[in-house]
Amino acid sequence: MRIRAAISAALASAGILLVGWQSGTHVAVTGSSAVGTSAGTSGAKGSNETTSGSSGSSGPASSSGSGSVGAAAKAAGTYAGSVVRTRYGTVQVQITVKAGAITDVTALKLTDAERKSVQISSRAAPLLRTEVIRAQSANVQTISGATVTSEAYLGSLQAAIDAANL
Amino acid sequence: MQPTSEPQTPAPTGPALSARTFHCMGTVISLSLPAGALSGTPRERVLDNATAAVGRVFAGLDRTFSLYRPQSEASRMARGEVTLRGASAAMRARYADAAGWRLLTGGTFTPERPDGVPDLSGIIKGYALRQAGAALGGLQLEDWCLNAGGDVLVCGSPGSGAPWQAGIVHPQDRRRLVSGFSLGGSARFAALATSGTAERGDHIWTAGAGRSEFCQVSVAAADIVAADVLATAIVAGGRTMLDRATDCWDVEVLAVLRSGDLLGTPGFRA
Repeated sequence: MRIRAAISAALASAGILLVGWQSGTHVAVTGSSAVGTSAGTSGAKGSNETTSGSSGSSGPASSSGSGSVGAAAKAAGTYAGSVVRTRYGTVQVQITVKAGAITDVTALKLTDAERKSVQISSRAAPLLRTEVIRAQSANVQTISGATVTSEAYLGSLQAAIDAANL
Repeated sequence: MQPTSEPQTPAPTGPALSARTFHCMGTVISLSLPAGALSGTPRERVLDNATAAVGRVFAGLDRTFSLYRPQSEASRMARGEVTLRGASAAMRARYADAAGWRLLTGGTFTPERPDGVPDLSGIIKGYALRQAGAALGGLQLEDWCLNAGGDVLVCGSPGSGAPWQAGIVHPQDRRRLVSGFSLGGSARFAALATSGTAERGDHIWTAGAGRSEFCQVSVAAADIVAADVLATAIVAGGRTMLDRATDCWDVEVLAVLRSGDLLGTPGFRA
């Protein structure tokens, strides 16, 4: 019984130490200026002292960092981010750091799904009225609009369509 | 602003439909089935059963979640008589859904009114449509169109496999359409929801002070809850939320700016 208690206590302490050590290194990663932050989020390995298993998320292509290690202010070089899957394929970017600042961002991989050209932007862009899908109320079966009250329904196009089909 | 269609009373030229309507949640719910699919069966009975099934779903949710019924669970929560901890499993589940959407939309969609009272009305109509659709599936119905006060969920086709054609109402003139969109059939999406400041102007709480830059936003998605929540969130959150929605979800969006200009994703391009 005592032995078991002692072992549990030891394990718990070890756990606490481990958590502390990990959060400590995490703080070190995110706290070490712009370089540290970007390295932490991209999963690239920026410096020796902060990456020993702390982020654990370095992508298939890890860092090609060639800058000086340790002192954040001096850190320079290129850092590859992890490969991110998107709706349009996988994406991977690389940052170039000089004197602690990101000076360039380049795409290593951009929606290369099966070497096909993939539409990248699903974002909304200005559309002329003549460019949108047109519809005549006589040719639709239902109407979408901001919620109509029971009273407003009576004068709505939906009411007219429903009435025609009742 | 140039309307894209002339005002007119529809004289349906498309497939023949049979429709039923009923009042619930402060609006009107319409159920349409292709008339052809009902031939050979006791047509009235199929429609009756389908309408009853949809009605039960809506009425049940309305009893629990409506804030205009003084004795609903939602009203008792609003008065502080019941806490979330003591609420029904259904209430807690929908609150959890809504809280999840608050996280996903970066706080733009919220299950609370500015005064802190839980208000799930932004999610209940979409959820009711989703459940009603499941109920229709349970009746072995494969072709139907449900419209709850302007939010649309369809299944199958109005006839010969073609998609359902939905019109999007003009925010300034509700006798006109600003655009159209195909749903169901071979089309990509089954759900289309529109939010705006035109009808129930006060039901969307904008993130910051001031008016929304959009007067109407329509979102097409596979799921009606997602379409409904995102349409509301984009009206409240403006262009930032619009970009977030198109980046993070598989949706098509058509937004009408206050100026009358349109912003649309490629799926709304003719």
